[in-house]
Amino acid sequence: MAALEINGLRKAFGGVIALGGVDLSIPDDRITGVVGPNGSGKTTLFNVITGVYPPTGGSITWHGEDISGRAPHQIARKGLVRTFQQAMSFPGLPVKENVQIALERGGRQLRGGEPRWHSPEELLDFVGLGGRGNDDAGSMPFGNLRRLGVAVALAANPVLLLLDEPAAGLSDGEASMLADLIIKLPGMGIGVCLIDHHMTFMTALCQRLIVLDFGTKIADGTTQSVLTDPKVMEVYLGGEL
Amino acid sequence: MTMEFLNLKMPMVRGGSHAKAGTDPHSPDRRIEQIVFAVALIVLVAALPSLNIGYRFLSIAITTGYTAIALYGLGLQFGQAGIMSVGHAAMLGIGAYTAAMLSNHLGIGFWAALPASIVLAAIAGGLVGLPSLRVSGQHYIIITFCFCALLVICLTNGGSFTGAATGLDVGSIPRVLGINFDKLFNYYYLVLGALAITLATTYAIMNSSYGRTLRAIRENEQLARAIGINVDMHKIGVFMASGAFAGLAGILQVYYLRHISPTLYGAFPSLYLALMVMLGGGRLLYGPLIGAIIVNFLPEVMDLNPVDSRIAYGVALLIVILLLPGGVSSGLLAIYRWVGGLLVRRGSKAGS
Repeated sequence: MAALEINGLRKAFGGVIALGGVDLSIPDDRITGVVGPNGSGKTTLFNVITGVYPPTGGSITWHGEDISGRAPHQIARKGLVRTFQQAMSFPGLPVKENVQIALERGGRQLRGGEPRWHSPEELLDFVGLGGRGNDDAGSMPFGNLRRLGVAVALAANPVLLLLDEPAAGLSDGEASMLADLIIKLPGMGIGVCLIDHHMTFMTALCQRLIVLDFGTKIADGTTQSVLTDPKVMEVYLGGEL
Repeated sequence: MTMEFLNLKMPMVRGGSHAKAGTDPHSPDRRIEQIVFAVALIVLVAALPSLNIGYRFLSIAITTGYTAIALYGLGLQFGQAGIMSVGHAAMLGIGAYTAAMLSNHLGIGFWAALPASIVLAAIAGGLVGLPSLRVSGQHYIIITFCFCALLVICLTNGGSFTGAATGLDVGSIPRVLGINFDKLFNYYYLVLGALAITLATTYAIMNSSYGRTLRAIRENEQLARAIGINVDMHKIGVFMASGAFAGLAGILQVYYLRHISPTLYGAFPSLYLALMVMLGGGRLLYGPLIGAIIVNFLPEVMDLNPVDSRIAYGVALLIVILLLPGGVSSGLLAIYRWVGGLLVRRGSKAGS
């Protein structure tokens, strides 16, 4: 059984069905990709997993414990930490304090274990923001803001990190630098689940891809097999009439 | 320990130009200048009564002192956690009326009523904070305003229990170690002591991980939740802390005035508290104190009548909102750092 087991997950907003019974299992020791066209329910999936919205039906099990309907902060404290599609930070605070807040919060989850990063500076160096600690987070360029978002999430001590379109709006150079960072995480004991549209970025990072369309899973397997799947081709390129 | 306490580190001001290398508040040179500043301030304020300043000035100083204590609570709530209230006088009222009613109905004096005032105001603060978990921004501000109006109605219609519109009287504070608090000088030092405790507590909160958590909530609630911060609990916590400071201010007010009535805790006093915090700035340690000093001493210094002074406050508030969103305190800090920077550059030029 994988770390995160999702069974028959449904989420409806009034009459709109954003997730129509999704079954997924996401391990916490490698990088798993979630792709799909706009409106296919990828971000809703993250929002329901992390407790932003309660599910309409189905179950979410994290390391054998049912977490569906829990508050976002409770889920985050169990090691399921997410980033946001809009690059988010605490804009009025210095970069160092952004990370420090999350480190202090994440540190309380350690229960005697050794922290991965002992200081905000160490973590900022890791994400490539070394020396930027005293800048105001709100005044940083977009690429750095993305890195800061990842740094804040990492500081919260995740077991599985859910990244919602981390490469959106980045140049190719910035995206490949981010990929170099993400690929190191499983080796450090942090699983990654990644949403993105940027296919070169995804194929470079993910051994496994899950494809969503209209709130249902249409493919799940190794990256190569998914990309040659006729159903996936139909969704992305349009099928024959 | 004293070193830590006197290190008056300020949180960042939005858009502040000081977020550059060399202005790290932990650097030793900055720490020394902060200690010098704090010591100078303490000596000056403690020496005031001996400068033969007159009772009028001293009584304004006392009013400023207890108002500042209440403002520190509002400063935590508004400056750190980002939640404004325009009904904060109601919290002062709970503290003041708790003390007055304990004295009138049960004969309980100042020292025993002190913890009761603080605790009850803290509980009231937490209760008024509850709606903030559902509504935010201006909608919540309206709720605080309603609570304040509701309290005045209850106090006015409370019959002999609350003293109705006439209010309640209290006696004097029993002597401790032979100190007679009926003397204005001694009351001044009592308020000053309470203010020093308030400042130290605020400083400790601002520089603790709790203070950082509050600022995280202010800056981005959604992200705060996503990294595991229990936003709702911390909001109620800051409302309770804010209420506790107001309770302390309330009991100091009632034993200073000796008589209180509901109008002291209505809409206008509440708006004045909000005004003072915004004027002084809620994010920096000295902001609320500066706000209280400006608003209480301005009419005296400029010899304004009550109507003119209200106009002056309105104009001052507009100027501050437009030009100094961080309040006068952040403006002073920016000027101070700018002058400091100029002197350093001069000095290095002269040296080379």
